[in-house]
Amino acid sequence: MVSPALDGEVTVTMGELFLRFGADEAFLEGPGANPGEREIDPEPDAIREFARSDGRGRYRPLSGARTLPRNWHARFATLDALTAAVDAIYPLAFEHIAAYDEGRLRVVPLEDVLARQSGRYASASEISERGRAIASASLCAGCVRAPVWRGAGVTEGAIPCPEPCSVLVSLCREVAFWERDRPERREADPSCVYAAFEQPGNEIREHCLALLENSDG
Amino acid sequence: MTRALLLIGHGSHLDANSSRPVFENARRLRATGAFDEVRPAFWKEEPSLARALDGCAASEVTIVPLFMSTGYFTEQVIPREMGLDGAVTVRGGQTVRYTPPVGAHPALARVIVARALEAGATAGDAIAVLGHGTPRNPNSERTIYEQTERVRATGRFAEVTTVFMDQEPAMGGVFERVAAGTVVMVPLFIAEGWHVGQTIPEELDIHGPSAREDGRRLIYARPVGTHPCLSDVVLELASEAARW
Repeated sequence: MVSPALDGEVTVTMGELFLRFGADEAFLEGPGANPGEREIDPEPDAIREFARSDGRGRYRPLSGARTLPRNWHARFATLDALTAAVDAIYPLAFEHIAAYDEGRLRVVPLEDVLARQSGRYASASEISERGRAIASASLCAGCVRAPVWRGAGVTEGAIPCPEPCSVLVSLCREVAFWERDRPERREADPSCVYAAFEQPGNEIREHCLALLENSDG
Repeated sequence: MTRALLLIGHGSHLDANSSRPVFENARRLRATGAFDEVRPAFWKEEPSLARALDGCAASEVTIVPLFMSTGYFTEQVIPREMGLDGAVTVRGGQTVRYTPPVGAHPALARVIVARALEAGATAGDAIAVLGHGTPRNPNSERTIYEQTERVRATGRFAEVTTVFMDQEPAMGGVFERVAAGTVVMVPLFIAEGWHVGQTIPEELDIHGPSAREDGRRLIYARPVGTHPCLSDVVLELASEAARW
């Protein structure tokens, strides 16, 4: 896929990002049709801070969530600087892509991750097979990382995800509760905090509850 | 030999402020040039504890938890998630050293004193060291009491006491624990997040940097975790671990 606006010679897609390599400089572009609209500070700390909120200012605890701010770009004088910026947005993406390509990526399935939880998250392991499928479908469908831990393939531009993240573990805990004691569904509210799964109206919560309801009986 | 430093934070799914001190310390420590790489890792953010070592190519890795007490996270969660065998783990040509948390190091007492002085503490005042506390792990409170003793031993303040957010002695009763007219409460927390910024001020009914009650004054200092000198504590821990 070719990025739409800025000049450059070679473009690589990584998640929602476009990496463009020109003769003298490299560009990183966010999603959206007008990356030239806004130039942002290329320093990794500044890029990370920028990418920690979505376009509405909502905190993004899941780096791979397809909610990056739209229509921006940053310029880099070196490939190392570009790499550091991408790592600030998608931590470990380069390492996991390389390990996957070389067949040495250590993959840990959801079952193992849930089994080792303790304290507040010990109850996450009580989730059913159906609940696991619903939780991962609801969260991972909106993430640029391909869940190779559940056997997913890695298509061009995707980043392999070797192990379920803490956000999915947290969601599994809630789904396990909902399987025992189903709360009422509410209309999804995009203003709800992204990972506040206990909050009625949270988009991922309501999606899970709808799937649970549809799979009943 | 190449050296990496991994700074471990709790992180949050809900509050972006929770991990800021970890990133800030990583930036500050990177600038010292003491390590070939300095990376953060989190329980609830990315890079995760479970995968953080995937990104460390260095032959020597030092892991320093930016936690305020020894307890559930430092004794159970971090070693389990990172696959650590103990204080030193040797795996695949890499040596990984796992230090105690910053909150347990004697040098943290200097940071507590610095926060108290910044908040306006004088020799005649009382200092209240505020810990999170938990009834579930006795080691957690021990770290806080030890820091209180170290601050007391400096002799710089009339009184020094310990209070907690989630266990006895409760922070709400701080005026009953000291006689001084002014109490400076220093939170032993890493971030200016939900607890420091919201739940604690609400419970203490403190709106702003200080409050008055029956003619006495409570000054609420900033948390030790955001003080620039916390990076010095990390360096001391890493330096000590290098001699193991």
